[in-house]
Amino acid sequence: MRHYFRELSVAAVLLVLLAALAIFAPAFYQPQPLLSLATREAPTLIVACGMALVIIARQIDISVGSQFSVCSVSAALLAAMHWPLALVLPASVAIGAVLGAINGALIAGLGLPSIVVTLATMVTLRQGLNMLRQGEWVSLPDNVQWFGLSQTVGQWLLVAAALALLVALGLAMRHLAGGRFVYAVGSDAEAARLAGIRPRLGTFFIFVFMGALTGLAAMMNIIQSPQVQPLSGVGLELKVIAAVVVGGVAISGGRGNLWGAFAGLLLLACIAPALTHLRIEAYWEKAIQGAIILLAVVADGLRSRKGDA
Amino acid sequence: MAATEQARRPAWKTLLFSYEALLLLVLVAEWLFFYFAGTTMNRRGVVVGFGTLDRQFDILRHSCEIGLLAVALTPVIITGGIDLSVGSLLGLCAILFGKFWHDGGLTIPTAIALTLVIGAAAGGLNAALITALRLPPLIVTLGTYSLFRGLAEAITHGAITYTNFPSAFLFLGQERWLGLPAQAWVSLPIGVAIWMLVHRMTFGRSFRAIGFSPDGARYAGLPVNRRLALVYVIAGVVSAVAAIIYTARLGQAKADAGTGYELFAITAVVLGGTSIFGGTGTVHGTMIGVAAIAVLKNGLACLPVVMRMNAAEEMSGLLTGALLLVALTAGVLPKIISELRARFHLGAKT
Repeated sequence: MRHYFRELSVAAVLLVLLAALAIFAPAFYQPQPLLSLATREAPTLIVACGMALVIIARQIDISVGSQFSVCSVSAALLAAMHWPLALVLPASVAIGAVLGAINGALIAGLGLPSIVVTLATMVTLRQGLNMLRQGEWVSLPDNVQWFGLSQTVGQWLLVAAALALLVALGLAMRHLAGGRFVYAVGSDAEAARLAGIRPRLGTFFIFVFMGALTGLAAMMNIIQSPQVQPLSGVGLELKVIAAVVVGGVAISGGRGNLWGAFAGLLLLACIAPALTHLRIEAYWEKAIQGAIILLAVVADGLRSRKGDA
Repeated sequence: MAATEQARRPAWKTLLFSYEALLLLVLVAEWLFFYFAGTTMNRRGVVVGFGTLDRQFDILRHSCEIGLLAVALTPVIITGGIDLSVGSLLGLCAILFGKFWHDGGLTIPTAIALTLVIGAAAGGLNAALITALRLPPLIVTLGTYSLFRGLAEAITHGAITYTNFPSAFLFLGQERWLGLPAQAWVSLPIGVAIWMLVHRMTFGRSFRAIGFSPDGARYAGLPVNRRLALVYVIAGVVSAVAAIIYTARLGQAKADAGTGYELFAITAVVLGGTSIFGGTGTVHGTMIGVAAIAVLKNGLACLPVVMRMNAAEEMSGLLTGALLLVALTAGVLPKIISELRARFHLGAKT
C-alpha cells in the first residue's frame, strides 16, 4: 500500500474531480461523448506508455510529437495509395521504429544527452515534414476510417486495443526480465552494467520501442478521421511527459509505473471537458495543466526531502 | 618539440585554436557563401538580396530577441541546468506589458519596469522550485513553460492583441539610432554585462564549479543555491527585456509571442560550444552561435533556389536542427575516437 502511495494519490485526485463533475455537471457522464473522449486519448495513452518507459530508464524523448506527425502523414499517404491497412499498420510502426533508432543511436551510441538530441530531431523532423508537405492535408479513402467498420465499433476497438496494450506493458514492466531491466538501467546504469546487462544497448532499444509505439499511435490517429493534418502531433510530447510525471514516474529515473501514468493521463485528459462542463473558460486549460505538473513535482520534492531526513 | 610547445602555448595561440575561433571561421565562410550566392542586381542595377547593408542591420535586428535569450541561457546551462520556459515567459511578459499599458493606463516606462519585475518574479519561481526543493530544472521549467504560456492565453482569451503603441516606443524596435538598430543598444550592453559576469567575475567561476559538480561546489563553500537562483532570475529578467523588444519590433503583443524561441536559444548555446552537461562554455561562443543561425535564416531566404521553393522558414529550421546534431556529435567525437583507439590499440600503446 505504501509502495503505491504516489499512484493512489493521483487516482484519488482523479476520483475527486470525477465526483465533482458528477455533482456539479452530470452532463459530463453521457456515454457517447465519454467514448469519443476515450477514443481521442487512446493514441496519447500508447505514446504515454512508451514515454513512461523512456523516463523510467532516465532518458526523455521530446521528439515524439514530430515522430507522430511524420508517421501519421506517411501512413496516410500509403493508405491514400490504396495500400491495404494490414500493410500500412506495420509500415507506420516500422517508420516510427526507424525514427526512434536514430534517437537511440545518437543517445546510446554517442552518449549524447537525450534532451538535446531529441530537441534537435524534433525540430529537424517537423521542419522537414513542413518543407516537403507545405502543411497540406491528406485525404483518405473511405475504407480507412474506423477500418471500414461502424463508428461505435471502431471506437470501442481502439479503446480496447489501447487498454490491452497498457495492461500487457504494465504487467511486463513488473514481471518480465525486460521490464526489470528498464528499471535497472534507470536506477543506476553503472550498477546495471556491473550486474551483467548492457545499458547502452538497452537504451537504444527503449528508444526504438518508443518510436514503434508512436508509429502505432499515429495509425490509431489516422483511422479516426477522413483527413490527416500534418500538425496533428504538435505539443503531444508535453502532454505525455506531463501525464507521466503527474502519474508519479520520477524524472530522475528508476521509479514509477504505467498505472500511475495512466491515472495521470486520465486526470489531464478530463481537465478540458471538465472546464467546459463547469463553465470555466477553456483558455485556462494550459495554465491549469502547467500548475498540475508543478504541483506534482513539488509533491515529489517534498516527499523525497522527508525521506532524506 | 611539439609537446613543449603545447605546454607553453601563449594565450593568443590558445584563443586561435579554440572552438570559438573555429566557429567564427565557419560563420565567416557561411556569410561569404551567402554574400556571393544570395546577392543579385535587379533590372535597375540596384544591388538586392543578402549583400546589402540594410540586410546586415536586419539580421542584427532579428537576432536581438533570440540572442538575449541565448546569452541569458548560457550561465544556466554552464551550471548544468536548463530553462525551457524562456519562450513562454517572453509571451507572458509581452501581453502583460500590453495589458499594463493598454488596460492599466500606465506610462510606457512604468509598464516596462513592472514587466521586468514580473520577469524577475517568474525567474524567481523557477529558482525557488529548483533550489529550495532540489527539483530537476528540466521538469520544473517544463511545468512553467506550460504555466506561463497558459496564463498568457488565459489573460488574452487566446484572442486579444495589444496594438497602437506610441511611436516613441516603436522607435526601440523599428528605427535606427546612431547607425545601429535601436534594440541593439539594449541587447549588446546586456550581452557584455553577462559576458563580464561569466568571464571576468568570480560568479562565472562558481557557475562552472557548480556545473562540474554541485556537491563539490557545496563542499568548497560556494553558496550553490544563491548562485543557481541568480542565473534563473537573470534568465527571467532578460526574457522580459526580450519581450519588450519583441513587442516594439512587431508593434503588437500576442499570447503566442516567442513560441519555440527556447529551442533556437538552446541551439545557439550548444552550437556556441557550451556543454549541455554543464561545467564549460563561453558567452562569446553563444553570440557567434546566434549570429550563425541568424545568417543562415536570412541567407537562405535570399537564395534563388530556396525562394522558388517558398520554404525558407522550414529549411532554416531543418538546417538549424541538423546543425545542432552535427555540433553535438563533433563535440563528443574526440572522446569516441580515443575510446575506439584504446579498444583496438590497447596492446600496442601500453
